[in-house]
Amino acid sequence: MMEKALSIFSKVILYTILIIFTVLAIYPIIWLFIQSFKSTQSYLTTNKLALPVEWFFDNYPFVWTHGGFSVFIVNSVIYTLITVFFVVLLANMAGFGFAKINFKISKWLHGLFIIGILLTIQSILIPLFLMVNSVGLLNTRLGILIPYIGLGLPMAVYLCTDFVKHIPDELLESARIDGAGYLRTFISIVFPMCAPVSVTLAIITFTGTWNEFILMNLLTSGDRLKSIPAAVGRFAGSLGTDYGRLFAALSISLIPILIFYMIFRNQITKGVTAGAVKG
Amino acid sequence: MTIKGEKKFSYAVLVLPAVLIYLVVVAFPTIFSIMLSLTDYNGGKIFGADNLHFVGFRSYEWMLFNDPSKAFYTALRNNMYIVAVSVFGQIPLGFILAYILTRKLIKRGGGFFQTMIFLPNVISPVIIGVLFKNFVYNRDSVYMEIVRFFDPSAEFTLNNTPMIPVLVVILWMFTGFYMIIFLANMQRIDPSIIEAARIDGASESRVLWHIILPAMTNVIVTSSILAISGSLRTFDLIYVMTSGGPAGQTRVLSIYMYEQAFQGSANYPMANAISTVMVLISIALIIITRAVGNIFNDKEV
Repeated sequence: MMEKALSIFSKVILYTILIIFTVLAIYPIIWLFIQSFKSTQSYLTTNKLALPVEWFFDNYPFVWTHGGFSVFIVNSVIYTLITVFFVVLLANMAGFGFAKINFKISKWLHGLFIIGILLTIQSILIPLFLMVNSVGLLNTRLGILIPYIGLGLPMAVYLCTDFVKHIPDELLESARIDGAGYLRTFISIVFPMCAPVSVTLAIITFTGTWNEFILMNLLTSGDRLKSIPAAVGRFAGSLGTDYGRLFAALSISLIPILIFYMIFRNQITKGVTAGAVKG
Repeated sequence: MTIKGEKKFSYAVLVLPAVLIYLVVVAFPTIFSIMLSLTDYNGGKIFGADNLHFVGFRSYEWMLFNDPSKAFYTALRNNMYIVAVSVFGQIPLGFILAYILTRKLIKRGGGFFQTMIFLPNVISPVIIGVLFKNFVYNRDSVYMEIVRFFDPSAEFTLNNTPMIPVLVVILWMFTGFYMIIFLANMQRIDPSIIEAARIDGASESRVLWHIILPAMTNVIVTSSILAISGSLRTFDLIYVMTSGGPAGQTRVLSIYMYEQAFQGSANYPMANAISTVMVLISIALIIITRAVGNIFNDKEV
C-alpha cells in the first residue's frame, strides 16, 4: 500500500518535471506565433502575455511582400539542397577510397579531415573572406556554396569512412572478380549500401546549412542572395520596434524548419547522436 | 589500363574532389589565419604590394598584456560563463531528463516530451536571438511586463548583469541536445543487467548510481568536450541578441574577433590572433576534460 502510494507520488513528480521542461522549451515559440496576430499598436497597449483581443492578420501579407520572403526561402532551398548533394556524394566517394582502397596516404588524408572537425568556423573566417573576395566570388552563389561544401566535409568524411569500413571485404572482392572496377563497385554496391549513413549526413548537413548565418552575412551584401537567417536578421533590424510585423517575419522564418523537424524528427535526433558520438 | 593503374586512377577520382575542396576551404585558410596573425596586414592586395610585413607576436602581446581595456579578458570570461552553463547546467539537466525517459519511469508520452524538449536545437540561433531580444531584452518585453506587474514604475535597464539573459537562452537552447545524446547512450545499456540488479533488491537510486552513472562516464566526457567547443563557437545568438553590448559586457571571443575584422577599420592580424587563441583554448580545455575523465574512469576499475 505504502509502496504504491509512493510510486504514484513519484510519477506525479516525474511527469511534472517533464511537463515543465516541455512548456519551457516550446512556450516562447508559441508566444511568438500568438503575438504575430496582434497589430504593433495592440501589442504595446495590451498585456504582452495575453491572446489577441481581435486576431489581426495584416502583418503576414505585409511581411511577405516587403520582406521578400519568397526569394529567401528559394535561396535557402537552393543552398541547402546543393550543399547536401555534394557533401553526401563527395564524402561517400572519399569514404570508400579511404576505407577500402589500400594506399598509405589514406591515413594522412583521413587524419587531415579529422582535424577539421575540431576547427571552428571562426578560425578560418577571415582568410575565407579574403580568398573569396580576391578571386571575385564575393556576392555569388558559387562563393557561398564552395565554403559550405568544404565545411560540411570533415564530419561527413569521418562518418562515411567509418561506415564503409564495416562493409564486408568479400562482398567487394566478389564484385571485382566479376570484373567490376573500383568505380563500378562504388556506384553499384557501396553507394547504395551507404544509404543509412547518407540519410543521417543529409539531415545533419541540411539543418546546419539551413541555419548558417555568419558566412552568409559576410559573403553576400544586399538581399538578392541571402538565405532566411541572414535575411531575417537584416529585416528584423529594419523593422525595429514594429513588433507585430517583426513577430510575423520571425514566424514565417520558423515555419519551414518546424515542418521539416516534424517530418524527420526521428532521423534528426539519430543524426545528432551519430555526429556527437565521435567525440 | 593495368589493374594497378585502374586502382590508382579510381582512388584519385574518388578521393581528390573532397580533398581538394577541403584543402582550399579549410586546411589552407587555417594556416593562412595563423600567418596573418603574425603580420601587419590591414587590407589591400596581399601579394606583390607593400601591404604585408611579418611583425612577430605583436598582436598577441597587445591583446594579452598591453590592451588597457582588457577586452580580451572580458570576452574570455563571458565564454567561460557559457562553458560553465553548458557543463554544469545543460549536461546535468540533459542527463536527468534522459534518465527519466529511458528508465520508463513514466508510461506515456516519452516520444512527445523528447521531440518538444529537443525542438529549440533545430531553430536558427538568429531567429532565437531576435525572439528573445523581444522576450526579455528590451523595454517592451514580456520580462518587463512581469516586472512592471510588481513595480509599475520599473524602467528597463541593461546595466546589471547583462550576461544572465544570454546564459538563460543558451541553457534553454541546448539542454535538449544533451538529453538526446544521453538518451541514445543509456538505451545501449543491457536492460538485463538492470533487471538482475532490481531482482537482487537494488533500489532505483542504487541502479542509477552503480550501473547507469558509471556507464555514462565516457558520454559525460564527450558531452563536455562538445559543450566546450560549442561554447567557444557561440556567435549568431549573441550577435543578434545584444551585439556584444552594452559597452562590450556581453562580448565573447568570436564577437570580439568579428568586430576587429569587419567593424570600423579592419585589424586583421588582431582578429586572427583572437581566433588562433580560441583554437588553442579549445584544445587545452579538451585535453583537461579528457584527463579529468580518465581519473574518474580509473576509479571505476
